Amino acid sequence: MKDTSISENGVSSKTVKIAARNVQVYYGDTHAIKDVNVDIQDKTVTAFIGPSGCGKSTFLRCINRMNDTIDICRVIGDIRIDNEDIYDPAVDPVQLRAKVGMVFQKPNPFPKSIYDNVAYGPRIHGMARNKAELDGIVENALRRAAIWDEVKDRLGAPGTGLSGGQQQRLCIARAVATEPEVLLMDEPCSALDPIATAQVEELIDELRQNFSVVIVTHSMQQAARVSQRTAFFHLGNLVEFGETDKIFTSPEDPRTESYITGRIG
Amino acid sequence: MTDATSSTSLLVQDARTTRRNRAEKRFRLYGLLAIGIGMLMLAILLITIISRGSGAFQQTFVTVPIYLDAAKLDKKGNRDTDDIRKVSTFGYAPLLKDAFESLAQTHGIETPLESKEMAGILSKGAEAQIRDRVIADPSLIGETVEFEFLASGRVDGYLKDRVSRDSIGNDKNISVEQLDLVDNLREFGLLGMRFNTAFITGSDASDQRPEAAGMGVAMIGSFFMMLVVLVLALPIGVAASIYLEEFAPKNWITDIIEVNISNLAAVPSIVFGILGLAVFINYMHLPNSAPLVGGLVLTLMTLPTIIISTRASLKAVPPSIRDAALGVGASKMQSVFHHVLPLAAPGILTGTIIGLAQALGETAPLLLIGMVGFIASNPPESIADGLLAPNSAMPAQIYEWAKRADPAFYERAWGGIIILLVFLITMNAIAVMLRRRFERRW
Repeated sequence: MKDTSISENGVSSKTVKIAARNVQVYYGDTHAIKDVNVDIQDKTVTAFIGPSGCGKSTFLRCINRMNDTIDICRVIGDIRIDNEDIYDPAVDPVQLRAKVGMVFQKPNPFPKSIYDNVAYGPRIHGMARNKAELDGIVENALRRAAIWDEVKDRLGAPGTGLSGGQQQRLCIARAVATEPEVLLMDEPCSALDPIATAQVEELIDELRQNFSVVIVTHSMQQAARVSQRTAFFHLGNLVEFGETDKIFTSPEDPRTESYITGRIG
Repeated sequence: MTDATSSTSLLVQDARTTRRNRAEKRFRLYGLLAIGIGMLMLAILLITIISRGSGAFQQTFVTVPIYLDAAKLDKKGNRDTDDIRKVSTFGYAPLLKDAFESLAQTHGIETPLESKEMAGILSKGAEAQIRDRVIADPSLIGETVEFEFLASGRVDGYLKDRVSRDSIGNDKNISVEQLDLVDNLREFGLLGMRFNTAFITGSDASDQRPEAAGMGVAMIGSFFMMLVVLVLALPIGVAASIYLEEFAPKNWITDIIEVNISNLAAVPSIVFGILGLAVFINYMHLPNSAPLVGGLVLTLMTLPTIIISTRASLKAVPPSIRDAALGVGASKMQSVFHHVLPLAAPGILTGTIIGLAQALGETAPLLLIGMVGFIASNPPESIADGLLAPNSAMPAQIYEWAKRADPAFYERAWGGIIILLVFLITMNAIAVMLRRRFERRW
């Protein structure tokens, strides 16, 4: 019911990139995501907000099937990217994840050099025919992640030796190096200081030019700053989804209002 | 008010704090005491082993010039090796007698001993030593060649203060007059102790010749066993752990497997020995006493150790690394082999080497598959021979020596322990080095 009203709100000329219909997620016997319907648009930043344990990260991990790695997790329902069911048995999650990149909550660079961190994805996907091409991809990715100037002189240095904010931007560079179409970010700034957060947020805004970005965040200010559309999750339900401005200024659901004014959460 | 402030002064410790501090001090003292006891025991152990075992590396040798009489060794005079071979060691005994006779004459040694008794201070293998040399080089016949013979175990014991004139009593193998001769020869520098490489390279010897017994062939037996263990246990163990840790679904079957692996690690090694006897020898008819069978048994014993340590080091790799690899579109296998395994490698190597060291020192299962006992074989000629020909292993050899009657063997058992410990310490040092080296990458 709510869904129809949302799609009316989100009047936009942009195409729908990800469409989720009646998605249920179970962890063993726990019903973690209940009947979520959402349309995520291309070249848009969509923020998922909600209190801890509301299922926003779980839902995010459904989009690139990272939940497959958890044995007890079951996903029911329909998630389509470009109108293709990603849970179809014919879909190889490995191929899907090349198309749907992910940045994690804690910066997790490989214990390898900065160069190898970024080059790893292109290498395993055979995106470069020779070293020069690979160098180009790495430089391009690092530039897009706004970290090139800081690391260009020490590409051989270990990625784990960078500061937290630099590590996270390195992880973003690693994610964009494989040329994904969708970028999922799971609280990418929660381990960063305000300056690094500002840098990453600026970056997210730029990434919008090329990707459909979905970001999970605990900070409502961040959601308001970076996203065009916002979804509010509560206890596994998608309570409200619409234009960010509207969610933060005149939410329809009383639970959304309580949350953004700080009364629940 | 004033009372309250004075009672909470930071300059005066209250009773509770004093008690707590005393308890901590006591605890530290206990800890130091425990470490002290441990260090003391280690020191006693090492000092005992070295003081008792180092003698085995020194051996008494007697230098005797021997006239290789052509009339006795090559009656036909054609220097044909086949004819020379027909002269048994018994035929060489007169040469030794003559040599000692002339030795006593040239150096003016007065002795009531007959020449045969004089030659009795040598190892029983002396004749064979001359014969081997002559067969190897028949052109020596007719010349006087200086030989360095092992002295008998009793004489060796006399030089090492294990045997004295009082202690020999009714010993048939040595007499006071022979010891006088030994003292005389020592004065002339013809008899003395030096480092004995044959103890490290040689093979075991019979009960009558403790002075000739060596560790070498048992060492080769151990080497082939370790080769079998390494070749089988490392790939099987690592593959099993990777599958169980990274790929296997978590259900009751894998739970049972996990519990059983932990249980196997605690199974007494002799159980593996009897299993090896039943399966490899009685059922599969693999040869008795073969390092191949020993290696198979020790593989079974080592596998749980390797699997447990490999799984532990795989578990220690942060899951965020796996997520990162999967997140950029790596397959499960790529994420394991490109990222998880390299990070776990130091732990896996350490576990493997410690498992090997454990297997190297294992004796009990070898008792049951016949790798212990008197095996005076020559070093194997080929790899197949090394795997299938009867052999012993270092700990089994030590056990074998320790249970023989002659105290000279007892000394060799301690010496064998030193060699075994050198191997174990080397292996552990390699484990530490590998770990350091891999960890230093970042």
